[in-house]
Amino acid sequence: MSALLPRTAAEDSLGVSLPNRRSEEWKWTDLRRLVTAPYARKIVAARDADIDRLVASSPFASVKAKRIIIVNGVYDAKRSQLPRGEINAVVPLADDVIVGIGSKLEASGVSLVFDGNADLPVEIVHVATGAAQQAIGVRHTISVAANAAATVIETFVGEGDYLCNTVTEISLAEGARVDRIKAEVESPEATHLSHVIATLAATAMLRDFTLTSGAALNRQNGTLTFLGENADAQIAGTYLLKGRQHADTRLVVDHAVPHCTSRELFKCVMDDNARGIFQGKVIVRPDAQKTDGKQSSHALLLSEAAEFDAKPELEIYADDVVCGHGATAGDLNHDHMFYLKSRGIPEPDAKSLLIAAFAGEAFETIEHEGIRECLSAYAEGWLARR
Amino acid sequence: MADLETIELVKDIDVDKYKYGFETDIESELAPKGLSEDIVRYISAKKNEPQWMLDWRLEAFRVWQNMEEPTWAKVSYPKIDFQDLHYYAAPKSTPAPKSLDEVDPKLLETYAKLGIPLKEQEILAGVRKQGEKSELDGESGGEYASGKVAVDAVFDSVSVVTTFKDELKKHGVIFCSISEALREHPELVKQHLGSVVPQGDNFYAALNAAVFSDGSFVYVPPGVRCPMELSTYFRMNAKNTGQFERTLIIADKGSYVSYLEGCTAPTRDESQLHAAVVELIALEDAEIKYSTVQNWYPGDAEGKGGIYNFVTKRGDCRGAHSKISWTQVETGSAITWKYPSCILRGDHSRGEFYSIAISNGRQQVDSGTKMIHLGKNTSSRIISKGIAAGRSDNTYRGLVSAHRKALNARNFTQCDSLLIGDKCGAHTVPYIESKTSTAQFEHEATTSKISDDQMFYCMSRGLSEEEAVALIVNGFVRDVLQQLPMEFMAETQKLIGISLEGSVG
Repeated sequence: MSALLPRTAAEDSLGVSLPNRRSEEWKWTDLRRLVTAPYARKIVAARDADIDRLVASSPFASVKAKRIIIVNGVYDAKRSQLPRGEINAVVPLADDVIVGIGSKLEASGVSLVFDGNADLPVEIVHVATGAAQQAIGVRHTISVAANAAATVIETFVGEGDYLCNTVTEISLAEGARVDRIKAEVESPEATHLSHVIATLAATAMLRDFTLTSGAALNRQNGTLTFLGENADAQIAGTYLLKGRQHADTRLVVDHAVPHCTSRELFKCVMDDNARGIFQGKVIVRPDAQKTDGKQSSHALLLSEAAEFDAKPELEIYADDVVCGHGATAGDLNHDHMFYLKSRGIPEPDAKSLLIAAFAGEAFETIEHEGIRECLSAYAEGWLARR
Repeated sequence: MADLETIELVKDIDVDKYKYGFETDIESELAPKGLSEDIVRYISAKKNEPQWMLDWRLEAFRVWQNMEEPTWAKVSYPKIDFQDLHYYAAPKSTPAPKSLDEVDPKLLETYAKLGIPLKEQEILAGVRKQGEKSELDGESGGEYASGKVAVDAVFDSVSVVTTFKDELKKHGVIFCSISEALREHPELVKQHLGSVVPQGDNFYAALNAAVFSDGSFVYVPPGVRCPMELSTYFRMNAKNTGQFERTLIIADKGSYVSYLEGCTAPTRDESQLHAAVVELIALEDAEIKYSTVQNWYPGDAEGKGGIYNFVTKRGDCRGAHSKISWTQVETGSAITWKYPSCILRGDHSRGEFYSIAISNGRQQVDSGTKMIHLGKNTSSRIISKGIAAGRSDNTYRGLVSAHRKALNARNFTQCDSLLIGDKCGAHTVPYIESKTSTAQFEHEATTSKISDDQMFYCMSRGLSEEEAVALIVNGFVRDVLQQLPMEFMAETQKLIGISLEGSVG
């Protein structure tokens, strides 16, 4: 069907056809209609002052970490504290839209290989300096060797109207662990498209958290596959959206082998005319017995015009499993508000307190205290600006 | 008690578990195979329909020709050749019987075999007392035993007989076949037909609108509580036919009606198509309760034969404080594609959906509901219990949405799936769309198998494995069973046992 549609300006400049809402996966995010600007790959030089200012604006600036700086999609050797590494193991996802755009943009990035326990978190700061309608492609690989552990932060900041397309591949060997924290605090005019692809060997552990608060249009895909038994994954996220922001997360967790555990927790706060979407799919393959999969998404709508859509999907082919999902949507609990106000807390403060508590539940999944505090501070700032 | 009966029943029909698989040898009048404008005209002429009805059908046919078969459901089947079907089949010997005595005895025999009592006097408070005439025929003036059920029996394409008509007439309730309604009450039909499910709503609804042959029509006047349960019994008999019936129920202001629907078909090697449309309209303060026990022939263990059941059911809570409740027990059909929905248009209206869907063998079920909240202070509740056994696939697909103006909409959804055996699949595909902050939506779903502890407990008390499974499953679906009218509840418990036969061990 889509082949018959005339190409849009964005499709022309990106060299790909974008999916529309007739495609089930893109039902609520009609990329063809929403991406209007003719984003194109450009090599753009940035001023030092702009870069430094944006790097400093990372919510995790206070966390002691080794940093890698990517400026407009290009590795900044001068500012980075770690080498680029050799990018390897490219997952060919030919029919995936986001990976497809990435390959058109000749995306490159860094390759992180952890052989032992990393002493400090690694933060990759992505800076976009606002060249008009620039399309940036980034592709990273993170691999953690057997029984090694690492913490990786991906931060996205920027100014102006641009498209950022990012693909991250994570491969965990037996008993490996990675704590990945992503903060998407792009420029309010930007478009952010991302796909993280993770594979877990036996007894590996993934702790993944994403803060979604920037960009006008946001679509984040996640594909997680269990390759070995007794692996454990936890994927959490918080949305803090306002204005006309649109954020859509689609996660596919594939229990291909028995005895694995997956947990998903998403807390979504939408104000003004913002629209939040959560699509989660848990697949339990035949023979993946003793799978334990839980998925929950909760939405807090702060304004009458805000919207939340969810599609928590289960596809189960094995019988000895415990799987479930829960989804809720609503405004602040009136009883909670009444309780706080009756204790003499003014209404705006009571509201902020409740919103912070709601959003913060997902922060609790993060083990690193400093990172958690940074996120709480970001949430407080967001609430104050509301 | 009921569970022991289930087990005995299962044993009785050890060889062929589908007990309604017999065929009635009756001469039928068939339309030529294929679908064209001429066939639509033929059906309309057979029914002596007014011109506007024919035009309506032709319009639907034109729309249908330009539509594509939907493919989004999680079911797979060989492509249906819509030109290889008879779109009309009627038992030959029924030139509009005026009373039961004129109905072909073979037909009555068929319904007796199915356990559907058409002889009105046979049923009293749910207990059959042969030959007892009793007070039913007298002027009883309003007090009725709760077990009385009026039946509209549909055989292939035509309604054979409708019972208790006169009794209902006294209360102003119209209950007849839709062809009769077209003759007797054309204004009511014209006003409401297609107002909930328009001709071009979807592929199968459009097909139905073009070629529907019969179905039931119910109108309950303002303020009337329908004195008995109304029911339709659908039977597909003729070979290579499709059954396309259309049901229209209108509950006027402040009225109440409870409607039951049952269906069976003979065992055949080739698959048959069933595409029905049901439209419910509830005006101010009215309530409609619609219950279905769907037991079409499911095909054999290897998936040969069986009914393709593609049904569009939708209720419109048009008036304030109206209520529509769907209860369904889905055990039959090779393929089920069915989403009974509620449009909650009136302020304070309420929609309910209770479902048990059981699949065994190679059955494929894709069923669920849609709750569309449009009015203020509307509420809805969804309880769905899916049970998959054998090599079947059982999918719940549902939508809950609140429009921007649907202030204070409330929804609670619970869908649980139970897997029996490791060759089957259970899937949940819910869609939640909330466009207003004042809406409160809650959704939860679980999938699990029968726990070993429960089985161990039951078996340590002396139950066999099959008995234990039947008992636990009946407990699992209890929330929904309780919503069924009394007469259906006992039947359903047995049906569950039969449907799961051969699923353990």
